[in-house]
Amino acid sequence: MKDKIYDVAVIGGGITGTGVIHELAKYKLETALLERGLDLAVGATKGNGGVVHPGYDPHPGTLKAKLNPAGARMYPRLSKELGFGLRRTGTLVVAYSDRDLKKVDELLDNAAVNGVEQVEKINAAQLRHREPHINPAALGALLAHTTTMIDPFEVAIAFAENAQDNGADILTGQNVTGISKEDDGLFHITASGNQYLARFVVDAAGIFADDVAAMAGIHEYRIQGRHGNLVVMDKGLKTPIQTVMFPCPGPDTKGIALIPTVSGNTLIGSTATMRSDKNDVSNDAEGIDELVAGARHLIPGADIRIIRTFAGQRPVALDNDNDFYIRESETVPGFIHAAGIQSPGAASSPAVAEYVVSLLADAGLDLKPDPDYDPFRQPKPDFSTLSPDEQDRLIRQDPAYGQIVCRCETVTEGEIVAAIREGVGARTVEAVKRRTRAGMGRCQSGFCQSRVIDILARELGIPQEDVRLEEENARILYGKIKGAV
Amino acid sequence: MNQLKYDVVVVGAGPAGMAAAIKAQENGASVALLERSSELGGILNQCIHSGFGLRYFKEELTGPEYAQRFAEQVAEKNIDVYLDTMVLDIDRKRNIQAINRDGILEICAGAVVLAMGCRERTRGAVHIPGDRPAGVFTAGLAQRYVNIENQKPGTRAVILGSGDIGLIMARRLTLEGIEVAGVYELMPYANGLYRNIKNCLDDFGIPLHLSTTVTRINGHGRVTSIETSKVDENLKPIPGTEEVIPCDTLLLSIGLIPENELSLKAGVTLNPVTNGASVDSRLQTDVPGIFACGNVLHVHDLVDNVSIEAEQAGIEAAAFAAGNSFTDSGELEVRPGGNVRYTVPSRIEPDLPVTMKFRSMKPVENGRIQIKSGDREVYTSKRSQKIVPSIMQTVRLKPSMLGSCTEPLTVSIVEEEE
Repeated sequence: MKDKIYDVAVIGGGITGTGVIHELAKYKLETALLERGLDLAVGATKGNGGVVHPGYDPHPGTLKAKLNPAGARMYPRLSKELGFGLRRTGTLVVAYSDRDLKKVDELLDNAAVNGVEQVEKINAAQLRHREPHINPAALGALLAHTTTMIDPFEVAIAFAENAQDNGADILTGQNVTGISKEDDGLFHITASGNQYLARFVVDAAGIFADDVAAMAGIHEYRIQGRHGNLVVMDKGLKTPIQTVMFPCPGPDTKGIALIPTVSGNTLIGSTATMRSDKNDVSNDAEGIDELVAGARHLIPGADIRIIRTFAGQRPVALDNDNDFYIRESETVPGFIHAAGIQSPGAASSPAVAEYVVSLLADAGLDLKPDPDYDPFRQPKPDFSTLSPDEQDRLIRQDPAYGQIVCRCETVTEGEIVAAIREGVGARTVEAVKRRTRAGMGRCQSGFCQSRVIDILARELGIPQEDVRLEEENARILYGKIKGAV
Repeated sequence: MNQLKYDVVVVGAGPAGMAAAIKAQENGASVALLERSSELGGILNQCIHSGFGLRYFKEELTGPEYAQRFAEQVAEKNIDVYLDTMVLDIDRKRNIQAINRDGILEICAGAVVLAMGCRERTRGAVHIPGDRPAGVFTAGLAQRYVNIENQKPGTRAVILGSGDIGLIMARRLTLEGIEVAGVYELMPYANGLYRNIKNCLDDFGIPLHLSTTVTRINGHGRVTSIETSKVDENLKPIPGTEEVIPCDTLLLSIGLIPENELSLKAGVTLNPVTNGASVDSRLQTDVPGIFACGNVLHVHDLVDNVSIEAEQAGIEAAAFAAGNSFTDSGELEVRPGGNVRYTVPSRIEPDLPVTMKFRSMKPVENGRIQIKSGDREVYTSKRSQKIVPSIMQTVRLKPSMLGSCTEPLTVSIVEEEE
């Protein structure tokens, strides 16, 4: 690998890094993405509510105010090109007091300045008409019509797979431990024992972006995590919702929201507390209680059936007015920070990518459009969404599509095999889950985990005990109990 | 697409499904038995311990042996078995859509017996705080790894929940050289059968900690420890009682949930307490021609009771498919009374014999079972007995006892002074 010189190395395979490599794929460039995890999207991108906020919220003049509305507007097209799920839900910001109603007016003004359209103030009757279970104490709400929902990890994988199809190297399991810009003008990057050479580096390492920058001798900012608990609820709740619902925001956070996801579950998210340990994505009982209370504040009689809890850390660049930190290093030319991508990072991601590429161009990267660039990613069959006739045809082509592996989400062996063999192939149980939903349902993989392990072991040619849940040390099995049968 | 037609279609070939299919066939029905895994027997196949069949066969069998006796009868009879076949949909008119490696099957059924069994409650359902590492398994999944896959799921385990699967797994892990640090139970009493506490914990010196739960899971990648806490009378953790127990594995045996997704698709109304269908004396759901039995109806403690219940469902389904019109005199609602969590059935036809099944909410040392219709006493047990939630109670009621009842039945457990 030492002989190959990349034009750009992107460090970090979350929605920011994959967005950048996807954007770079449109040009005649040699690019690589280095991700330390065994799969993409294993940091803040998976610990995320998935709301594509339209952009009424950020303070005018910030990077967020510029990139959030722009990113959000790009999603519907990207969804078609890349074949990821997108659900238009709208957002309600619910007011319970005169003070809240004033806040709604402020948000409306903000929306106008940020160029966000289709935002209006609705009264209590309109609110109840749209969401019949809403708290009767609600006086009205801001309604933003254009909010959509995505699964951020699905988008990140789609970005990376399209980039890969267009020639990018997507390299997982590459933990960057050293970066230096040498006299040859190149960045020398050490990752998991490999050496990579690149003319430019984009640091999109999320919560660890400042640590990666420090490897290159850059100490221009610091990242701290703002931890958030989230819970996933079952499908088929007795108090269903159609719209993302927030209370009016307090000074520090957007508040606890109810979020109807792409896949038909409802999330409650998320709490917000600063943490000193960047690796701490644990759930805490107080946080879960806060979420349940928040949900009941929006819907007093909410049917709350939790099937999973999870958490993430939003990477916050300190002393940066709560804004994204995207710029070229002042001390090491050619090193671009794509950092501090906290909320609304998922919504902003496509615009962040364009902005980062413009910074690369400013820094001297030559952008020649690639005439062979193909914006479309061939979607893989999603069995449960097909008609019975289509399902029947698919099974006749490949009988593996007739073998259900995950019964909760109706995922077939054919889909799991495709997730392992095609694109940025899954190598772990969680990677299979992100691509196929196997294990994401109400039994939480109690039924399918052993079957998924068998398929991974078979396809990857490894023993079952070498299959990992997520990280390299996330061992599931400890080997055969008794000798060969 | 393959189009098929049967008098009776049985969904699930565990103990309930096999027994129902056999009886439906013996009663003259053409029968299809649909099973999503690659062999008959369901969860019994991984229950390699003994203790099955004492009531039904009057001898002690292992799970696979118990299943084999029924599987052999299925094989001998003219029953069409579809393995590796998953039912995706059932409608109110009993049209069934299933898939297997040959394609989509569309099956038109004269009657349907739901016998899908149950699944285990997970960590998410009780939302245990902490990290989310590998090494947290439901007890049944760990049982599958050990007994079917020949794989070691860990080296030192803690078990949360004293349900029977958890107790059985405490012994199983110990025998396979996996240390079990302890079994922890939220409630002030054990949930499993007494014989399992004796044979699986006491005999192996595994401690059972009552009124204690797991309040945190620790570990990046793999579990490194768990934290337990004592709970108060409201089952809330008591601060200051935390204890950290090093282990790499946490097994959850915290309850079973009937697997009724298909029942809901068919429009069947569920009983919110059992999470199983609401059925009548014939085990018929509120959708005509759709019957339910076994753990999909309510979670049983003994497989023998599952088989007996399922046989009735098979007989009733065959009768329905043969066009026997059920001319009932009218239905009476059955309500759980004092210290009764639920009853099956939840409505009865007074002119039919019925086996009333129910569970207590809390254990009583001297309880007497009482069934009333309004003020009228229908049944009172002759002597008082120890009644615990882990053991299902049954009372057989004859039409002569029910004949003139017009008011809803109430089933109660009355506690008596010694």
